[in-house]
Amino acid sequence: MSTKAISISHLTKYYGPFKAVDDISFDVEKGDFLSFLGPNGAGKTTTLNSITGLGNFQAGSVSVFGWDVVRDYRKTRPLIGLCSQEFNFDPFLSIEGLLVYQAGYFGVPKRVAVPKAHELLKRFRLFEKRKLDFRKLSGGMKRRLLLCRALIHDPEILILDEPTAGADVELKYQIWNYLSELNQSGKTIFLTTHYMEEAERLSKTVVIIHKGKIIHHGDKQSLIQNQSLEKTYLELTKETVDD
Amino acid sequence: MIKNAVGFQSLVKREIVRFFVVFTQTIVPPLISSSLFIFVFGLSIGRNISLSVAGVSYLQFLVPGLVMMHLIESSYTNTSSSLFIARWHNHIQEVLLSPLSYMEMVLGLMIGGVTRGILTATGVYGVSLFFTRFVFHDYLVVVYFFIVVTIIFSSLGLIVGLWAQGFEKLSVWNTFVLTPLIYFGGVFHSVEMVPTPLKFVTKLNPIFYLVNGLRYGMLGISDVNVLFSMGLAAALAIALFLIVERLFRRGYHLRS
Repeated sequence: MSTKAISISHLTKYYGPFKAVDDISFDVEKGDFLSFLGPNGAGKTTTLNSITGLGNFQAGSVSVFGWDVVRDYRKTRPLIGLCSQEFNFDPFLSIEGLLVYQAGYFGVPKRVAVPKAHELLKRFRLFEKRKLDFRKLSGGMKRRLLLCRALIHDPEILILDEPTAGADVELKYQIWNYLSELNQSGKTIFLTTHYMEEAERLSKTVVIIHKGKIIHHGDKQSLIQNQSLEKTYLELTKETVDD
Repeated sequence: MIKNAVGFQSLVKREIVRFFVVFTQTIVPPLISSSLFIFVFGLSIGRNISLSVAGVSYLQFLVPGLVMMHLIESSYTNTSSSLFIARWHNHIQEVLLSPLSYMEMVLGLMIGGVTRGILTATGVYGVSLFFTRFVFHDYLVVVYFFIVVTIIFSSLGLIVGLWAQGFEKLSVWNTFVLTPLIYFGGVFHSVEMVPTPLKFVTKLNPIFYLVNGLRYGMLGISDVNVLFSMGLAAALAIALFLIVERLFRRGYHLRS
């Protein structure tokens, strides 16, 4: 297995005449905690979809631990857990059912999936709610359930799309601590976020995409040096700061 | 062909659980509407209709038509609504992110439609037993049409479930295509009852051949050659299945 968890090479994606991602290349090392930053419409979600298989692309290649995500999708998909931004749960299943079925799609048998689901639900304080419909959960609980779903098949790489969007302070810290724990245990984490504080606090590597092009790729320390990540980010993306 | 057996079983189970969860919307209505059709058309109006086939009452003639109607409607509705709702709520991602092959995804979704179609049609036949009884002419032909017709319309439902971008588009096919084809396809009448100019049009309707194929299996009577009906059904099932599998592989309305 390759030491590169994700390898993106000359990825290009058009939506009609609009070039959403313009010939980007970068690698994510195994065990890294990478924050993938950029303004709205910069190409973050398009890149993320190309990695997970939720999006097609016209040129370039993406591989996960050496496997091509298009040709070898059956090998790459079990290696990835996606924590999406939206609460896109199956409305016909209970909370526990959601996790057990999701594990099932990944080939995890029920006798393994049920204890794993219980472990995650306990970890995220959702165990008492496991028989309920997800619509009965609060926003914060749904966000925790998204994490449970992404982790139910024990992926090597966790891809997080705005995991703390709308979360209160307590939940945010809880998620941050858990992500750090996961990263320390060897999981590779690929985070997209608009919260610079989150990226600064958690990541080892920062990649910034702007107008479909990578404008920075390097370790966090070299990027921030004497100022905050937010300020550096704004300088790089040529945004203006309102005083 | 099935490499991710656990994943495939999970998807099949999920599809079956889905329509059982809402059984008052999926299983019960066809049984009620069939009872009404049998009562109104079979028992009331049907008393005054004489068929050219000796020994077969209009009520008996009607039963295979109604069974076919619900085989078609239930299998089609199951897959079209299941896939469309999964796209609408975007929980289709749960399946798309998984290592299920596109063939496994299509088969898993389709088996839900096949199961619902067969269950509903069997229920409709069960309801008819309260009104009339007859011995099947050929059980194998009946089983053949139960399976192949549900594959055809489950596949068609998946195509429409992929194609539709809104609820109004989802209903367009049912209202303007499927329902007229079913009603003009010989569910309630023999082609002999149709005015001569319309006989040719009726014979262009593929559902006409499916209804008559099943009617042959159940009663031993048909307006067409049953082998031709069986061949047409198989060709439609294979063609539509391959189209759906290709659409999934391309990510049509599934991937950005």
